[in-house]
Amino acid sequence: MDLIASFQRVLGLSLGLVFLAGCGNDPNPRPLRQTRPDGSPWLVRYSGMPDEPRSLDPQVAYDQMSRRILEPVVETLLEYHPFKTDPYEVVPVLLSEMPRRELQADGSVSYLCKLKPGIFFVDDPCFPGGKGRELVAADVYYAFQRICDPKVGCPVFGNLAEYIKGMSQLYEGAKKNGDQLDYSQKLSGLEVIDSHTFKLHLLKPYPQIIYWLAMHFTAPVAREAVDYYDGQPHPDGPGGRERVRPKFAWHPVATGPFVLHEYRPGHLIRLARNERYQTTVFPEGGWTPDREPLLRPFAGKNLPLVDEVLFTVFREELPIVLLSRQGYLDGMGVGKDAFNSFVTPSLKLDQKYASRGMSLEKDVDLGTFYMSLNMQDPVLGPNPKLRQALSCAHDTQAGIDIFRNGVPPVAQQLIAPGIFGFQPGFRNPYGFNLEKARQLMVEAGYPGGRDPKTGRPLELTMDVTATGAQERQVAEFNQRQFQQLGIQVKIVENTFARMLEKEDQGNFQIASGTGWGADYPDPENFFFLFYGKNFPPEGKNISRYRNAEFDRLFEQMATMENSPERLEIVRRMNAILAEDCPVILEMNKAFYVVVQPFAPRTQNNTLLEGGLKYAWIDHPLREQKRRDWNPVPLWPLGAGAVLMIGAVFYSVRWNRRLDV
Amino acid sequence: MNALFDNLWVQNALVLAGVAVWVALLIHGSRSERWRRAWLRLRKDRVGMISGGVIALYLGVGALESFQIPQPTGPSLSVLGWMTRGVPREKSYSAPLARTSLSVVKPEPLKGRHLLGTDALGNDTLVQTLRACRTALAIGGITSLIYIPLGTLLGILAGYYRRWVDDVIQYVYSTLASIPSILLLVSILMALGKGLGTMSIALGVTSWVGLCRLIRGETMRQSERPYVAAARALGQSHWKIVLHHLLPNVLHLVVINFVLGFSGLVLTEAILSYLGVGTPVGTPSWGSMIDGARSEFSREPLVWWNLTAATGALFGLVLSLNLFGDALRRAFDPKKA
Repeated sequence: MDLIASFQRVLGLSLGLVFLAGCGNDPNPRPLRQTRPDGSPWLVRYSGMPDEPRSLDPQVAYDQMSRRILEPVVETLLEYHPFKTDPYEVVPVLLSEMPRRELQADGSVSYLCKLKPGIFFVDDPCFPGGKGRELVAADVYYAFQRICDPKVGCPVFGNLAEYIKGMSQLYEGAKKNGDQLDYSQKLSGLEVIDSHTFKLHLLKPYPQIIYWLAMHFTAPVAREAVDYYDGQPHPDGPGGRERVRPKFAWHPVATGPFVLHEYRPGHLIRLARNERYQTTVFPEGGWTPDREPLLRPFAGKNLPLVDEVLFTVFREELPIVLLSRQGYLDGMGVGKDAFNSFVTPSLKLDQKYASRGMSLEKDVDLGTFYMSLNMQDPVLGPNPKLRQALSCAHDTQAGIDIFRNGVPPVAQQLIAPGIFGFQPGFRNPYGFNLEKARQLMVEAGYPGGRDPKTGRPLELTMDVTATGAQERQVAEFNQRQFQQLGIQVKIVENTFARMLEKEDQGNFQIASGTGWGADYPDPENFFFLFYGKNFPPEGKNISRYRNAEFDRLFEQMATMENSPERLEIVRRMNAILAEDCPVILEMNKAFYVVVQPFAPRTQNNTLLEGGLKYAWIDHPLREQKRRDWNPVPLWPLGAGAVLMIGAVFYSVRWNRRLDV
Repeated sequence: MNALFDNLWVQNALVLAGVAVWVALLIHGSRSERWRRAWLRLRKDRVGMISGGVIALYLGVGALESFQIPQPTGPSLSVLGWMTRGVPREKSYSAPLARTSLSVVKPEPLKGRHLLGTDALGNDTLVQTLRACRTALAIGGITSLIYIPLGTLLGILAGYYRRWVDDVIQYVYSTLASIPSILLLVSILMALGKGLGTMSIALGVTSWVGLCRLIRGETMRQSERPYVAAARALGQSHWKIVLHHLLPNVLHLVVINFVLGFSGLVLTEAILSYLGVGTPVGTPSWGSMIDGARSEFSREPLVWWNLTAATGALFGLVLSLNLFGDALRRAFDPKKA
């Protein structure tokens, strides 16, 4: 009996200790390790994501969430210099030197590329013995073949096929063969010279190809990995039991500084340092003088600077704000609702956060947001005055003030600031002007917003992606803007996937929430959105805009180096678009970021893919700040004890009174 | 389906139909001895009468928002919209009774004063709260029109005919009840699309089970009673027994279930709208208001009035419905007869 009682006590105490050990304020999961092999602290970077990735296939991923995870894992042939942004500079990563341009006898252009020797894929069961093999030119060749594979569905195939030899033929052949690409078929645009050398043959001059080589679409892929990770059951489990292998799209195998260690859908994504990574080191210079004290100590250091990166999926803004305040997230973007608590009227960081050592930085993305108007729609397409009227009726600044605290600038032109061809003084001729909008409605044949034939208000449909309260509010705001003209706007709410489908099919009148973030710093990357041969699904011209002069100018400027002549063409194209109004311009993306004192920004080049390898954490400072910002209040314990004693005292007295 | 419900004349017809149903019920009740006795007991129940008055107030506001007046130069306007047409729309948030907008960076003078402030789009919160009555009542009303006849009919059939009829009906409702109701609702709404009409159908399809079970049990009990045996002995047809004898004797349960179920429907509408699968963009609803106010708690200064107004209105209606339901149950309680 005593033994049982002792056992119960020990068990109770142990369980109590276990539960107590589980108590804590830190919501982040435990890191993979506490220390590195050399005894120094294991550095973890904690980030938040508002959504999940859609694919981690380098030839497929195109959305921001997927890129955020994929880019640290997949290294590109070239990359943007982390500090040189004016102008942007591209430097070799997997290549040993910049591609050498060669002019062929027929006037076409080739680029000779040499891979660095001694770069290895990450260790993975898909390789013999689980050891990653060396990267070779055949892996680049395979990646380009995958771009041409209709089953892979590379979203930039149309862009590349127009300039690289043989891609269209390979794609067409596969289409005729029931979407089956014969990988033994030769791709004439990519010639493998030897194990580490290849040549890219272009159909016509295309200086922007350099930028494409700095994107993950052209990153090399190991064929073994694609074949191995097929999403089918295999006897891989313990004791030869069957286990389903993930698909390659969810198990990237590459040469980057990180590996995907864990992915819990809807919850978290964990990246861990690639122990075999030796491809790049921290640059020796290129930063501005004010950043010298911060960045100099990292010069020449091996990358990545942190050992682990943890992305937690937060659907709401509130937990991001709270965890950042507590020091459990290493930075945050300042959203609409948190804006006033962080940013003062003079656009400085609020004193209570500044006193903690936090700082505020403004990021301007190379992107433009707009509403797309379907040019094939029988109402909007043939009526430029109506499109102009809609553009004039939209008070974009009011929307920015309400939903984005007035931070981003109103877009006056398609090209984002900082890109060649951007005209700082250019004003959208059909910017907000309600009187002009009403006049244009008369000229469009709808005085007062009514169709004179029927006498009823003109009815338009606006498709929106409404996944949250704010999206619905934005939709309602936009609806009101157009209703000021007397027209009726019906809102159709879609999921994100359905919206993409509608854009691809041209099944909309007005598509809200569309826009473009630059893939590379060139006007061609914006104007291709309106090139007549770039209709979906292969292209991204979702407005289905076609203008012979615009197309001619596009073809001319796309192959030119930056020059005054090119600038003149870009300006002309800007003017054509402004007049034709295939879109209603909204804003250029800009936002504030709160930087933690222990996580200073080592680079903020928004075009740089895989910039996470430069990120750093001051671990001791973070530990100290977390202690300072999260004092453990002892009064609840004291109050609990007092209540407990009081209750015991009361119950004893009560029992005595009852004479129990 | 949704376009039909959005039609001005359909909406007006529905309001009139709703009023007609209530009048018919009252006339029917005034002729029944049982209902008259219940009414006498209900009149003495202070809580029941007050909650009934509150419900009538909500019904009145909902009817004012539902009844549409055609406009010669634009879309139709509800009576409530016409009555509140003088309330100005601001640019964005403003606090209750404030003189300037809620912007720290750029506060601007307001066009008017707002008792409960304004929301992100500058709408008067009080007006939005009142307008949302219509959504709650429309969902509760239309859904009740679907599920009450369905649940009552199937319950009586199962309880009266028993055997295979009972087996089939039980199988259907047991299967339906085993599916988590919110998931079922969300999937029906995803398939049919958003809108008041589709939401009512989805709720109607999922709400009849409880009533059906209740009516089935009561019908079984009533079927054993002598008056049913006497009706059978007199050679009355099954339908006559069901319609003339059984239905009037289970109708009080239907009324109580309607009142209590109504509050559940109002809450479900709010939950669905909060989850983003409820009312479409531009339709005022308490759930949408709560959903919109969700992130407003991280704002500084805090925006509390949208959430407070919506939850307050929701609380008032649901509490009143529950109290009134209880009062009705007490009034119809045969033990007190």
